[in-house]
Amino acid sequence: MLKRFLLILMILVFSGSLAFAELSKGDLTIAGYLKDEFSLGLKTFNEVTKFKNILQLSGEYKFSDQSVFFASAKYWYDAIYGLNSKYDAARHYMDHIQRTDWLRDCYLDYTNGSWFLRLGKQQVAWGQADGIAILDRVNPVDLTEYWLPDAVDLRIPLWMANINYSPKLNSNLQLLIIPDFEQSTAAPPGAPFAFRSYKKFMDFKERWESSGWYTGYPPPSLRGDVNVNIYYPAKQFENSKIGVQWQDRISDWDYTLNYLYGYDYLARTYSERPDAIPPLDANYGRRFKLDQMAGGSLNHTFTEEGLLKGITLRSDAAVYLNEPTYYGDPATGASVGVKRWNNIFWLIGIDRNVTTTWLASFQFAQYIMEHKSPGVGNYQTLNSYTYGAQDAVENIFSLKISTKFMHERLKPEVLWSWTDDNQGRISPKATYEINDNLWFTLGAHYFYGKEVDSNGQFRDVSQFYTQIKYTF
Amino acid sequence: MKRAVLLLAGIILAWSYLYAAELEYFQVYKPKEGMSADEIMQIKYFNKYALFAHDVSYTGKAYFIDKSGATRERSTARKRINLGRKSDGIAYKDLTIFTGPTQVKGLCSLVWTYLNVKKEQEVWLWLPSLKKIRKVSQSASDDSFLGGDFSVEDITTRRFDDETYKLLKEENFAGYTSDFMKKTYYKDTPCFVIEATPKRANWYYAKRLVWIDKNYGVNIYEEKYDTNGKKFMTLLRGHEIYKVDGKEYPLQMFLEGRDLRSGHTTVIINETANLDQGVAEDEFTETALSRSRW
Repeated sequence: MLKRFLLILMILVFSGSLAFAELSKGDLTIAGYLKDEFSLGLKTFNEVTKFKNILQLSGEYKFSDQSVFFASAKYWYDAIYGLNSKYDAARHYMDHIQRTDWLRDCYLDYTNGSWFLRLGKQQVAWGQADGIAILDRVNPVDLTEYWLPDAVDLRIPLWMANINYSPKLNSNLQLLIIPDFEQSTAAPPGAPFAFRSYKKFMDFKERWESSGWYTGYPPPSLRGDVNVNIYYPAKQFENSKIGVQWQDRISDWDYTLNYLYGYDYLARTYSERPDAIPPLDANYGRRFKLDQMAGGSLNHTFTEEGLLKGITLRSDAAVYLNEPTYYGDPATGASVGVKRWNNIFWLIGIDRNVTTTWLASFQFAQYIMEHKSPGVGNYQTLNSYTYGAQDAVENIFSLKISTKFMHERLKPEVLWSWTDDNQGRISPKATYEINDNLWFTLGAHYFYGKEVDSNGQFRDVSQFYTQIKYTF
Repeated sequence: MKRAVLLLAGIILAWSYLYAAELEYFQVYKPKEGMSADEIMQIKYFNKYALFAHDVSYTGKAYFIDKSGATRERSTARKRINLGRKSDGIAYKDLTIFTGPTQVKGLCSLVWTYLNVKKEQEVWLWLPSLKKIRKVSQSASDDSFLGGDFSVEDITTRRFDDETYKLLKEENFAGYTSDFMKKTYYKDTPCFVIEATPKRANWYYAKRLVWIDKNYGVNIYEEKYDTNGKKFMTLLRGHEIYKVDGKEYPLQMFLEGRDLRSGHTTVIINETANLDQGVAEDEFTETALSRSRW
């Protein structure tokens, strides 16, 4: 209902702008790119894991100083899913862009004095963390390639009203009303970056629906299908996600206070009542739960004389109220239930130019569970990506070193992210500007750790990659 | 007679004080005969940062030309608001948006510069690949500006207090011919020639020779020398005089830097400039930056 209202409002403002703006003075800007992304397995050197071609087109039309329309559309096709039968199971989902995902931005900006409205399909980024979503949870995320793409491509845009009021200089109150809903997505089994938890569930489904005999399963003749019922939030105004951010500055410290309430973009899979009469279907449900996030961010550059001069400090902190938290037996890789806990995630980041052209960026984050144990039998809390054991306190680190050569034509960098479980990812890359419109990137992602770790689960899909981007 | 000498001494003292102190914002200053190197350089810095105007907006292009002639290009839109505000110590705020090529389109920086010269700038970047703002430390002063031949301090961070000055001579400038523009600039322009020596030890240059236009107090040309006394960089700053409300504002509209060691050249051209348009300070906030679309 609200989504429809937003659309109508946008059309009204849009047509109003058309009526009042002098179109001859309008300012249309169009830009886009063609990009090829190619990756090769690091272990075998002979297995192509991606051959993706992307076209993106963006346009901006300025009706007046007050109102501007912006839209961008993207299409991609990953040829590897048609070339290698190994990926057949994932092809239907992974070889081309899905549903309405092609529309990346479609909004109207309207400014009037202290008010600023952005109405339409958009993404909103909160927080200061790099590559770790602590406050950055306004939009769902597309994890079909894990957390490897740029954040702008990870976030799934949503239709929303983004209403801003600046009561004084350097401060802003933002209200987000998000009637649209999309779930965060993951790669299906068969794709290189399918989560272990997803793969384990599909393994179970295949066994259950097969004619084989398995310990703990009913005889094949009695078994039916595995059904997964997904319960999306009803499309009602009451189900809109609501976000509020207050942004201000005290002395030289910038801070935000954030609050988000609505349906989680991830739904945990749980077992529903099994059939009583054969064929016995195994019934599972995925229900999106209401939860809340409250938190804030902080950043500051030390500009005064002293030891800390030149250091930029960033920090995010959030408490997730009633966050669905899995538990089960990590040895079997199966979850048996969900607890609703108040978990905490916080981060501190430090950036500094080490020399004239070398920049170092370090982050430390902690994910702290409300309880050490779910308190149900001997079960442990589980990592939702892998169904491996989840520590009550997870320590996460990242270090990024970047520099530039050849008048900034060549920009190498290396990102190392790891946790205290001796698992992580090392991602070196170098981007070279061939000319104004042609850019080439060469890089690698090396994953290490145990199979039950977030990064370790991809240790067999470490890869080299290249990207060629032509812009226009 | 005694009274006249005292009066004269008082005037000289007051005059010296005026130039020893910070020059007042939104005024137009021009050099005068008999001024010291310090006084001339204070006016030069005042004009370099266009502190005579309340606000300045530019659109322009930067060209990076290597020895073979291959050229890369960046286009930008820039705005500055001068504040000179003692309450929060802010001197001026700059907003720079890259408008092309597409790969860098939308990249945007917001820089606040303080009156206190020992205080570093505050810098925020809008990163299109993250659709997010990142606060970063001020670039090192000896880093290259946009990857070109100018250093960051050549364009943004060098202040009057960073060097000591000596007036070497007064002469008519011999002229500078730009290969890029196919034009000779400032031939026979009367100039002060000042030697500027950095206060920092082991800095990337040992001295600069600076030609200051006697009429407008702007730096039209400079040469940088290394510790062996070898010239390694030339820098031309072409100005245009804008008349606003009867005042003459000298604005930098064309810069050409040549690295004599690598043969690389950087050219920055301001294609349009608008002064005192009543730009609002709320355009120079983190909030405004976060409304970027590209």
